[in-house]
Amino acid sequence: MGSSAPQDLAEVYRTTYRALVRFLYRKVWDAERAEDLAQEAFARALVHKPENARGWLFIVAANMARDDARRAARERRHLTLLTAEPQESALASDEAIEVESDRARVQAALDELSPRDREALLLWDSGLSYEEIAAQTGLARGAIGTTLSRARRRLVQAYEAGKPGEHVARG
Amino acid sequence: MSHVDDGTLHAYLDGELSPAEVQGVEAHLAQCPACRGRLDEERALITRAGELLALAGPPDRGLPPFRVGDVKPATRLWWKVRLPLAWAATLVLALGIGTYLGSGVEQRQQPETAADAEPARPQALESPLSSERARRESRVKLRGAARTPPAAPAAPAPAARGETQMAVIPRDTALSAATPARAPAPQAAFGMVDGALVEKASPISLDSARALLGADPLAVPGAPIRTMYRAREIGYSALVIVEQALDSSTVIEVVNGRRSPLAVDVVAVTGAAAPGARADSVSVPERALQGRARIADSLAAAPAAKAAARALRRVDNLEIRISGPLPSDSLQKLLRVVQPVKP
Repeated sequence: MGSSAPQDLAEVYRTTYRALVRFLYRKVWDAERAEDLAQEAFARALVHKPENARGWLFIVAANMARDDARRAARERRHLTLLTAEPQESALASDEAIEVESDRARVQAALDELSPRDREALLLWDSGLSYEEIAAQTGLARGAIGTTLSRARRRLVQAYEAGKPGEHVARG
Repeated sequence: MSHVDDGTLHAYLDGELSPAEVQGVEAHLAQCPACRGRLDEERALITRAGELLALAGPPDRGLPPFRVGDVKPATRLWWKVRLPLAWAATLVLALGIGTYLGSGVEQRQQPETAADAEPARPQALESPLSSERARRESRVKLRGAARTPPAAPAAPAPAARGETQMAVIPRDTALSAATPARAPAPQAAFGMVDGALVEKASPISLDSARALLGADPLAVPGAPIRTMYRAREIGYSALVIVEQALDSSTVIEVVNGRRSPLAVDVVAVTGAAAPGARADSVSVPERALQGRARIADSLAAAPAAKAAARALRRVDNLEIRISGPLPSDSLQKLLRVVQPVKP
């Protein structure tokens, strides 16, 4: 099968890169880091020439994000020992703060999901099919619909629950 | 017929049911107002979840150019690995060295893919990408059809599913620019080994490595070997670099050197500038080893040299060095466990 030829990988890159960044971003919550990891995943795909580049990329990306999260957790512990520098966000515009807090609320809501539900939801949102999600998560193909319905419901509920009342926020 | 469960409704709305299943669901929906009501609720839920995820998306930056030629050979990747990752690898190492010792040689030839991609998982995703894409597109159409009620025209698709648009982005010139038929085989490259520029020639087989060195090359057991290179350096009649992946992001180089009998330690002694080293009873090669190890340690300790920490050991007629993005004590530990590579 010629699916691993570089031309094809370039095509996969074109169609999948941003989805991969989005998937990674929701795991590491750092845009630049997500892009670095996505680039790294593609660089490895070039070396390894996997049969199914797309599925392979998401699996590798999930692994890298997991390693990265462990590292980040360790770094955070170190950082708390340092004196905090003045937050730049003090200078940020109201709009930026709002976007940021929306993002933080969604992040918090995603954290409420079970790892498996979250993974399925993020993979679906990155454009993977039920079949691909099943292959990646080890869930049965027939269980994906149920998993996604639960994940979506939980996400929306957790988001609404964590949302401060609008009138309070505007006060 | 019993009611349609949530999972099936979501699969239906996601366009992931088989035509037969779709028929079954639609037949039921046609005669069950309750399930039609639920269908609308679940559709709204899916839309809402998509909107929320879109709020938590990365800033949309352009697609960076991707050229096969831009990607350096795997041999150089570890230079880019950030030091923190190396610390993670250190931890893995500290825990895993015992396991490495216990695990046999047979693991060694596993490609790195296996480590990355979890070998136990059967690949259910074997369809060629082109048909895969076609299927996805049809899925998207199905999705749209399922989502959009016949009366209400064109509800905007949730932004989070933007990848469907990506498929129609005009071909990036950088991408299409006649990529070579295959990714470049690792070509001659230069690497920093022991502070000196060492020329890496093309990859060689285990047999060639053995012939060059006159012995089995040594490597860290348990870590997949990516490549072996022949290399050249003053003072060595043969030099083989074994590149191994410790984990998905950490690559070390185990340098197997056979000393040239004529140029004994010229390079090493220059490096070993420790005063008084000559006066003691240590043999010249050993002194050289110590001197190098000291240099390696001091380099490893200096922040500026963090990327090139290394260690050194002599096994029979071979001089073994390990370099990689790891603290020197980890490299020393690795150095202690190197074993001959058997086919």
